[in-house]
Amino acid sequence: MRLELGNVLIKDVQFSDTTKLEEGVLSINKQELIDILMEDEHLKKVEVDIAKPGEKVRITPVKDVIEPRVKVDGPGGIFPGILSKVDTVGSGKTNVLKGCAVMTTGKIVGFQEGIVDMSGPGADYTPFSKLINIVLVCEPVDGLKQHEHEKAVRLAGFKAAKYLGETARNIIPDEVKVYEVDTFTDGLKKYPNLPRVGYVQMLQTQGLLHDTYVYGVDAKQIIPTIMYPTESMDGAIVSGNCVSACDKNTTYHHLNNPVIEDLLKVHGKELNFVGVIITNENVYLADKERSSNMTAKLAEYLGLDAVIISQEGFGNPDTDLIMNCKKIEAKGIKTVIITDEYAGRDGASQSLADADKSADAVVTAGNANEVITLPPMDKVIGSLEYVDIIAGGFDGSLAKDGFITVEIQAITGATNEIGFSNLTAKTF
Amino acid sequence: MVKEIERAGLPVVHICTVVPISLTVGANRIVPAIAIPHPLGNPQLSPEEEKALRRKLVEKALKALTTEVTDQTVFED
Repeated sequence: MRLELGNVLIKDVQFSDTTKLEEGVLSINKQELIDILMEDEHLKKVEVDIAKPGEKVRITPVKDVIEPRVKVDGPGGIFPGILSKVDTVGSGKTNVLKGCAVMTTGKIVGFQEGIVDMSGPGADYTPFSKLINIVLVCEPVDGLKQHEHEKAVRLAGFKAAKYLGETARNIIPDEVKVYEVDTFTDGLKKYPNLPRVGYVQMLQTQGLLHDTYVYGVDAKQIIPTIMYPTESMDGAIVSGNCVSACDKNTTYHHLNNPVIEDLLKVHGKELNFVGVIITNENVYLADKERSSNMTAKLAEYLGLDAVIISQEGFGNPDTDLIMNCKKIEAKGIKTVIITDEYAGRDGASQSLADADKSADAVVTAGNANEVITLPPMDKVIGSLEYVDIIAGGFDGSLAKDGFITVEIQAITGATNEIGFSNLTAKTF
Repeated sequence: MVKEIERAGLPVVHICTVVPISLTVGANRIVPAIAIPHPLGNPQLSPEEEKALRRKLVEKALKALTTEVTDQTVFED
């Protein structure tokens, strides 16, 4: 399977009479976009704003971030099973609006939504401060239940990304990246002497607004399965996560998973990247046991020599992580786990809720309990009224002078566990 | 908390969903609970069924509390 990703580099985003993409400038007819989103009867009001890198702008509470893409050749469309028919994606050609993102905010849904600062010290902790963000401020109709609210805002983000992605349908991209992946037997024949490496991607599925969808299916209900590495680049996996700002995978992360991209870079050269095993993080112990049994079985079945396991979120998913690690190692397969830490503000506490001797190769994305003070900004998109109650925030986080003192877990993407950030932690 | 109370000389039963974590932290008597968001109940059941479930859990915990153990023990059904 072969996927060509055509990056159209976005230099600027502006409001205009017509929605179009010309010479790297994305023009948006704001009212047309709002009208499309307001077709959803669950939304009372939608506002659209633009936030650019370096501006004194704070966006909060951030729910999801989505990169606009359009499928220009090959089967299926973007976000299969949700906005497009449920065809298998990941081959053909996809154009990407590189350098911008759709970001959703508005009244809080879950208590772990995040903060994105476009400048100042907070900006260093989130990759989204480097993008031109098209921010949707979505207000639900009165009395809408939490889960319906989450779904309405989630879909608004996807619809806006699809609408903007369409502008790149007939554009010649500035750069093209080609991703070649092999079937199980082809890989075996082509690279008999290369180590066989797999990627176990754990998806946040604890329910109660911690959910992920695969081809439209709530991933709580999946049994771990195998995917081509390129499928998620076309939106086969999306976030329904209104929680855990620092270490959740937004839809943008799923579209740009660095573990997948880096493994594909060396596929056929240093190693044979056999495939992605997706699994979940459920709240029943039997589910945790079943899913980790399955990942270990699939890793063995694929004849893997080594596996990278990435976690999403923290707390009880630490157990899923350790179960996956332990059971895969027990099959004689080497593992490296990617996680983050909740080691207390002084970094002295135990970092994970669970541990095992077989977890002897760990990549950490940083200590989410580190405290940071964010200076006031000239403009806030969304609302500051939730800063005291979001995870990482505390009573008094928002000071009278406008300064915000929070743990970095409140910053969207700060300790991302697929490594989409520059943060790490060291043991002294 | 389990360990500190036991250190003071009182036996403890840890009712918890994620048994592996309880084993890792060193609880001696463990009774598996229902699920992380609702360890001691199940909102999908009728109130009568749920009451029966809760009673069963408490009785199991009391039984575990009065059972001599020599090693970490998980009290399955």
